[in-house]
Amino acid sequence: MSKNENTITTEESTDADPKTTDEKLISTEVTTGTETGRTAAGGRTIIEARNVDVYYDDLRALDDVSLQIPEGQVTAMIGPSGCGKSTFLRCINRMNDLVDAARVEGDLLLKNKNVYDDDVDPVALRRRVGMVFQEPNPFPKSIYDNVAYGRRIQGLDGDMDEAVEQALRRAALWDEVKDQLDKSGLDLSGGQQQRLCIARAIAVDPEVVLMDEPASALDPIATSKIEDLIDELAEEYTVVIVTHNMQQAARISDKTAVFLTGGELIEFGDTEKIFENPEHQRVEDYITGKFG
Amino acid sequence: MSNEADEFNLSGDRGFLDFRESIYHVVFLACAAISVLTTIGIILSLAGPAFGIFQSGFFQDVSLGEFLLTTDFSPKISPVQFGVLPLVFGTLLVTVGAAAIALPFGLLTAIYLSEYAGERRRAVLKPMLEVLAGVPTVVYGYFALVYVTPFLDAIPGIDLGTFNALSAALVMGIMIIPMVSSISEDAMSAVPDSLRNASYGLGSTKFDVSTGVVVPAAASGIASSFILAISRAVGETMIVVVAAGTTDRFPGGPGEVLTAFFKSTQTMTSAMVQLGTSDLAGGTTAYRALFAIGLVLFVLTLGLNLLSDVLVRRYEEDYD
Amino acid sequence: MATETDPQTGPGDATGETRTPFGEVSRLSGIVFEYLTLAASMFGILSLGILLSYVFWDAFGLETADPVWYAVLVGTVGLPLVGQALYARRNPVAGEVALELGSTLLGGVLAGLALVVVLEVIAGSEVWFAYFLTTVLPLGSLYVYGQRNEATWVGLAALGVLIVGPAIGTAALDPLTTVAGLFGGPGIYLLSMVLPAALLCRYLVGEFLELGNGDYAAGATLALAVVGIPVVDTVGVARSVWLLFLVALVMPFGIVVAKTLAVPERRVGFVAPAVIIVGIGLLAVLPETVGVAGPSPWFDWQYVTSNPSRFADQAGLYPAIIGSVFMIVAVAILTLIVGVGTAVYLEEYAPSSGIAASVVRLIRINISNLAGVPSVVYGLLGLAVFANTLRLGFGTVVTAAFTLSLLILPIVIISSREAIRSVPDSLRDASYGMGATRWQTVRNVVMPRAIPGILTGTILALGRAIGETAPLIMIGVATSIYSTPSGLFDKISAMPMQIFVWASFPGEEFQYGVLAAGVVTLLVVLLTMNSIAILLRNKFERSEI
Repeated sequence: MSKNENTITTEESTDADPKTTDEKLISTEVTTGTETGRTAAGGRTIIEARNVDVYYDDLRALDDVSLQIPEGQVTAMIGPSGCGKSTFLRCINRMNDLVDAARVEGDLLLKNKNVYDDDVDPVALRRRVGMVFQEPNPFPKSIYDNVAYGRRIQGLDGDMDEAVEQALRRAALWDEVKDQLDKSGLDLSGGQQQRLCIARAIAVDPEVVLMDEPASALDPIATSKIEDLIDELAEEYTVVIVTHNMQQAARISDKTAVFLTGGELIEFGDTEKIFENPEHQRVEDYITGKFG
Repeated sequence: MSNEADEFNLSGDRGFLDFRESIYHVVFLACAAISVLTTIGIILSLAGPAFGIFQSGFFQDVSLGEFLLTTDFSPKISPVQFGVLPLVFGTLLVTVGAAAIALPFGLLTAIYLSEYAGERRRAVLKPMLEVLAGVPTVVYGYFALVYVTPFLDAIPGIDLGTFNALSAALVMGIMIIPMVSSISEDAMSAVPDSLRNASYGLGSTKFDVSTGVVVPAAASGIASSFILAISRAVGETMIVVVAAGTTDRFPGGPGEVLTAFFKSTQTMTSAMVQLGTSDLAGGTTAYRALFAIGLVLFVLTLGLNLLSDVLVRRYEEDYD
Repeated sequence: MATETDPQTGPGDATGETRTPFGEVSRLSGIVFEYLTLAASMFGILSLGILLSYVFWDAFGLETADPVWYAVLVGTVGLPLVGQALYARRNPVAGEVALELGSTLLGGVLAGLALVVVLEVIAGSEVWFAYFLTTVLPLGSLYVYGQRNEATWVGLAALGVLIVGPAIGTAALDPLTTVAGLFGGPGIYLLSMVLPAALLCRYLVGEFLELGNGDYAAGATLALAVVGIPVVDTVGVARSVWLLFLVALVMPFGIVVAKTLAVPERRVGFVAPAVIIVGIGLLAVLPETVGVAGPSPWFDWQYVTSNPSRFADQAGLYPAIIGSVFMIVAVAILTLIVGVGTAVYLEEYAPSSGIAASVVRLIRINISNLAGVPSVVYGLLGLAVFANTLRLGFGTVVTAAFTLSLLILPIVIISSREAIRSVPDSLRDASYGMGATRWQTVRNVVMPRAIPGILTGTILALGRAIGETAPLIMIGVATSIYSTPSGLFDKISAMPMQIFVWASFPGEEFQYGVLAAGVVTLLVVLLTMNSIAILLRNKFERSEI
């Protein structure tokens, strides 16, 4: 957005992006539109959507979305506002269940288990799939209690102090707050609050971390810290991030899904390919700013 | 792959935790059920003795026509008579008197609070107005009996009885001002500023805008506040019991309507208290009459409240 | 800001279009209308103000006082109050501190009174001891344990104790009271009240507010309890009463004072309250020492400690005060549990689509309509259901408490729902996103933020309950009671009921004396409850930001 932000992050993305893409064996074939595909190297797909439709009452928010999200990578969802990218994200951990009017059709597999099966408990699902929201939303409790919250409610055993420290370290917040763990989480700056929320999400060791525009409420410097952090998190977790900022998607993600109006997934594939040589004219128009 | 699916268990059987969840769910649901039971309880306990659902009822002793159409109410002195009309008249009389105070004053107060008063003045005035509604009604009744009646009686040309409808109505009017003002003010505040600005843009004064734009735009909310205040006045008990007396009165002509203000006048609610203080064990017609009058009162206030609800919803829909 | 001086400068200052030369006529009508609306706003408030001054004048018998006494009154109470009010406009901290000190003081007196009434007058210390051992102590221990440890079973265990504890207490009442007899009243309160209070004090001072060493604070509380005993013995106050007031009044007041003193800029708030307290002392002493004629109040110690009487001089409100307090305590417990439970169900559990949702919508409409049902109709409900069908007795504590609880329940539910709704959804999302269950979210995220608002609404609703008369008449609350209730099934009187009864007594002494004093008693109780509610609301609104 601002020049400041671009200068900070271009150098980082140039040396980070090729490295990660090289390291990881990408065998996912590009699936587009409505056709469903299977990956050649099976075990590496962690989330698979098959013909997912979402309705809010009669309004169709997602239209026949199919895609495969690889494990241990950063997958970005981009598109104009109202295109359904956040809706898709909230399908993965069934946060949409909290909206009674929402109705989901199709299959959404997490490690080959359909999360919309009758025997799946959304609470158990959300314990495996962490989420970070658009606005930083720490609880009005101490920093320590914020990070400990998930472990407490899930009744996880083990050394709580250790776990809190680990999560804060991994969220790159430990050095800034280690002397004031009793301070309220609300006393932190916006960027620190968001990293606290990330620490809170990873303290329970989820399989996947979902991020819904995690940097949109932050200033450029805080944003770049969050982006660095996401990059590091990808070493241990699968990250799925929704963003309206295309540069951000290009910088941090390995895979990109482009949603356009009407909840349609237009194109999904390697980030590099999407940004340099998209298959669809509409995607190119969107990325080059002619549309959206 | 299918192996992995077997291992990956999301069924979420949390044993004790699930048990705890369902316990709390049931506890909260039970709490919510109490309010429904209350309504059922009110309807049954009123209709039971009135229509004789469980034992013999009031309307088996006294016909519906006699109850609704005759003009004498004397439950104690034989021959006992149970005509509800004089009580309805008393209630109407006091309600009209109270409304004559509360509606104009409440509306003007709402206009002041919404259109003229600054932030600070509103912060002082609103809680003070709430105090008006917070004083116990028996205290208002005492005010009416001990201070207001002698004060009004001292005015030349006014000859008041010890118990009279006038001071009860006056004091009741003061009590329900905040009901009118707070709901009306909410409705006026909900009128979007764009409407006001459109009118200012045409060269209107603040007076024009308040009376010509804001009040009409908030009309349904204001009407709703009026109806709610009237409903409150109809059901008000202690003020009339303490200050308005216990004479059943039905006007023979239009002239007697006005003079009734100056004399002891019984309302539905004060008749209920009179019956309630004499016989509570049940089994008599007087006891059942209590519930029959209560039923009339309940139906009346419920109708008014529902009407007010509908009107409020209309303005909320307009501007939400 | 500019609109604040509006009424002085005339209307339309912001837009200014009324100042054109062509606007003379409309400008005049505008000014007239504005002052008309201002006058209308003041009408009700002024009328009530005048009526209240009459009542206070009569209740305190002020007409007999000497001008010198009035001068002292104005100088030491009136002027400081006005000065405080003016100063508080410029420095909100001063007003805040004064409100905090005042309501802690009055609230402490009320709470102490409630404790004495419920424990000493009604239950008796031995009976209290039995229930303390079986219910209160286990609940308290569970709460402390739950705060310090991660245990999922604590809440349910508490629910179990709440049901089983009183049952065991009732069954084993005889042996337990025998044991309790060994300690004696003051011993029981020392163990069951002062000791826990000292521990609470230790936590509050040492950890929560971080005012200083908690051990010293706890030690001071215990020392004060012991040192106070010989003092109250000489004054003639019962030891038990002293210990209960120590817990309800002295300790909280001490903590508030210490908290205020800890912040230099808050100390200014002490000035006005100190002057007023000295002034009140002076006013009380003046007539006897200097010989200045004081007032001859109806509202005095004799009045609040005597039984009702046919003779105005001897009439008092004691049984009615005790009855009202007992009833309100029962109503508070019932409505808090049921009201908050309903609000939580409607806001957090209720489905919002499908057939179930329309049932829930019906419940909501039903509740708002219940709020509009006349109180006398609730009286009929109580009469038919509780008194006649369930045979809980005419005019007994239970019947009255159930009836009044149902009466104020809609108000409590509506205000609790508002408090719960004001908790931002982002916090719920965060909690559910972590895999919290509904109850975990309600318990850990929603309730901590909603409780101040819930308490505010509940206290205001209880104020309504304490002044209600019509339902009490309908359920057969007796018109004259000369003894205090000692159990839930005893007949009671209540303050508004006694006022209603006295209103039909002829004679100036009753109308302008005994009755006025009764009204003042009731209003003082109400005022205290409301200022506590306002204090809570202020704190709540500030933490919202």
